[in-house]
Amino acid sequence: MTKATALEPESKAPKARESIFRRIIAIPEVGILIPLIGFVLFFYLINHTMLAPKNIANMLRAVSFVGIIALGQTFLMISGEFDLSVGSTAGLAAIVSSQLMVNEGWSVPMGILAGLAAGAAVGMVNSFVVLKMGVPAFIATLAMLYMARGITYLISKGYSIYPLPEVLNKFGVAQPLGISWSFFVFIVLAVIFDQILRRTVHGRKLYAVGGNKEVAKLAGISPNRIKASGFILVGIMAALAGMMLMSRIVTGQPTIGQGWELNVIAAVVIGGVSLWGGSGSIAGALIGLLIMQVVNTGLIIINVDPYWQTFAVGAIMILAVYVDLLRRKAKTSA
Amino acid sequence: MDGTILLEMNRITKRFPGVVALDGVAFHVQQGEIHGLIGENGAGKSTLMKILSGTYPTGTYEGEIKLQGKPLDLRSPHDALNQGIGVVPQEISVIPELTVAENVVVGRWTGGRSQLINMRAIVRRVTEFLAAENIHLNARQMVSKLTAAQKQEVMIARALYTNPSVLILDEPTSSLSLNEIDNLFRILRDLRARGTTCIFITHKLREIYELTDRTTVLRDGQVAAEFDREGYSDRAIIQAMVGRTIDQMYPTRDSDSDSDEVLRVENLTIAHPTIANRNMIENVNFTLRRGEILGISGLVGAGRSEVLNAIYGRLKASGRILVEGKEIKMGSTTEGKRAGIALVTEDRKIDGLLPELGVRQNITVNNLRLISRAFLLNPRKEREVATQSVRNLNIQTPSIEALIINLSGGNQQKVVIGRVLLGAPKILLLDEPTKGVDVGAKNEIYKIMIDLVREGISIIMVSSELPELLAMCDRFVVLAGGRIVDEFGKDEASEHRVMLAATGALQENATAPAMGAMA
Repeated sequence: MTKATALEPESKAPKARESIFRRIIAIPEVGILIPLIGFVLFFYLINHTMLAPKNIANMLRAVSFVGIIALGQTFLMISGEFDLSVGSTAGLAAIVSSQLMVNEGWSVPMGILAGLAAGAAVGMVNSFVVLKMGVPAFIATLAMLYMARGITYLISKGYSIYPLPEVLNKFGVAQPLGISWSFFVFIVLAVIFDQILRRTVHGRKLYAVGGNKEVAKLAGISPNRIKASGFILVGIMAALAGMMLMSRIVTGQPTIGQGWELNVIAAVVIGGVSLWGGSGSIAGALIGLLIMQVVNTGLIIINVDPYWQTFAVGAIMILAVYVDLLRRKAKTSA
Repeated sequence: MDGTILLEMNRITKRFPGVVALDGVAFHVQQGEIHGLIGENGAGKSTLMKILSGTYPTGTYEGEIKLQGKPLDLRSPHDALNQGIGVVPQEISVIPELTVAENVVVGRWTGGRSQLINMRAIVRRVTEFLAAENIHLNARQMVSKLTAAQKQEVMIARALYTNPSVLILDEPTSSLSLNEIDNLFRILRDLRARGTTCIFITHKLREIYELTDRTTVLRDGQVAAEFDREGYSDRAIIQAMVGRTIDQMYPTRDSDSDSDEVLRVENLTIAHPTIANRNMIENVNFTLRRGEILGISGLVGAGRSEVLNAIYGRLKASGRILVEGKEIKMGSTTEGKRAGIALVTEDRKIDGLLPELGVRQNITVNNLRLISRAFLLNPRKEREVATQSVRNLNIQTPSIEALIINLSGGNQQKVVIGRVLLGAPKILLLDEPTKGVDVGAKNEIYKIMIDLVREGISIIMVSSELPELLAMCDRFVVLAGGRIVDEFGKDEASEHRVMLAATGALQENATAPAMGAMA
């Protein structure tokens, strides 16, 4: 740039001196780490068993089922869609695999694969209905919630299926380090998902598609392909979680997964994953999960009427999203 | 205009956490004038008007406002409206599923105390009102059927309906074509003739010259200068706006285009998106040479953007497109990108930015392959690439990690340009590249264009700002009614010739978009 004489790059506009507080809460995960610590302290001060090793192990065990699904849901929500059918998908996978293993004589690996395939199939149907037929995800996956649960009852005739193969029972009830195998599976998956999101091209494409579909298209990214991968992934994750719980309770129960869908979405939203797509992180989702679990367990420990737990989930969601709004304002101030 | 002060704002200071947005601003408007308020993005124009319109209520700022000598305490926008401050916001805000009449009276449905709404009376009142104000709208028309310009007239009518002492218009021309702007100016001059006082916010000098009686220039939250009509000059106003002199708004070209043909468009035809059996663009042919800047002109709705989008493969179209003699598959952005075509779209907010992400991710999103091996991103390489773009294009940002939405419009635009340049394109399609961009950044974007053509990149540019188009391009194609109506080189180019072609064809073709909607 030589000929044109005018504009020298001028010094920037007076730099906004942000307060330290603003800067800290502008880091996405910090905003929700504070309430997590707050809740833990609150319950601990009332009843010290909150932080007893046994209680911590209990909480971690409990968090892993919904947690595995939350990983997939985080991906899907970052790409700008969401799935309400995950609880039913979990139940369907549990019944499909236990039915095949117990009553049809399939081997354990084949039974598990069939369960995962059922989850993937649900994801494919969801993505077809949402992306090809154009039915909004809210309706499409709500419908799938009913359809998948219906199929689950059709297969099981409403009965539990047992006894499961011995190896699954062992896997389910074992308590390595006092916790459970499911929890370790969850942690390993969480690390992998986090890396995919932050370090791979696919992760970046999820953010691009969720952030602005048109920009993604112009960049040669196919939004539908990316979103479909999210639906299928969350289906598989739901299937995995369903079969984990199945082995934990040593039966294929048709009610597995009932109500999980809202717990998953609540956790992920509390964790700062945008309902409108384009932002969020695995770390955030994990903190969201922990907040939900801490409050649920904490309320039991301090002897609050269990019905208050249900109330609390709702209250926390509002609080969490409100904190998220404040955080966005902090980010875009000046 | 008799020189009496109608409105005064004195010692206005507005602080946001960490920033002083307005610093002791004095702003005086005389009775019956059209007062221009000009300044670059971020100069404080909007903040000042938000104070005047009650969005920032009394107490959230320092200083005083007086209307006709009486102090004004504005508690809310509604309050401001009741006290005689009418605002036409920049963004179109209408209720599309209601009629013009309902949109005009919104909030004031009944004449008296009754709580019952009498639709027929409203329509009659609004029809009379529109006739009195000389605004040509049909009160019964659904607003969803109107053009952007007509929707804006609805907003003006709505503001006028409250019979304000002062009417504020916030960058009202940003989405209008030339003849629509003329019509808007006619309405405003009419208002002035009947004694209405207007504040006209803009960052286009032409509009200041054409319309206003006096002008206040804001820069960095302070009043940089005040001009009477006699004192208007490019040099003085630009200097006040940017705090330095720009001797040359349009940098000098220092390269010529080759004779090599880079792009050939043959019989390009694009179907109309909503009307069956009609074409938006019909049998359009043109070529582009290496190192050339080709300008596509025409009124809004003439199909300029559609031509660019079709060349890039974003719009379905028929015909042939040849890049360096080789025909490319149409209707696929991937193909367009591969052939070396890059597109900077018209509206950053709609299809330019990834608002949740930082500058870095916004720069690299088109070329993830460049910063990854197999499927893994290489963060160091990405930072390098992004830093390089920021430096090359002189993007003003605290860091490459800053959120894109916190940058000024001009810097956002440079990020989008940097993004497409990463793909090393041969042909760059720029759709309104300086829309919503301040003067300083415009000048820099022009310089970037000059640099690019010197390196042998060819550019097709669409712009509604004729002076800019005439200054930057080597050759011009004028579209009207979906066809090319005129084509000429720089030496024959003039605003007159462009407008003649753009509007002349329009009169023959009564069904063309802009006029059709006016009828």
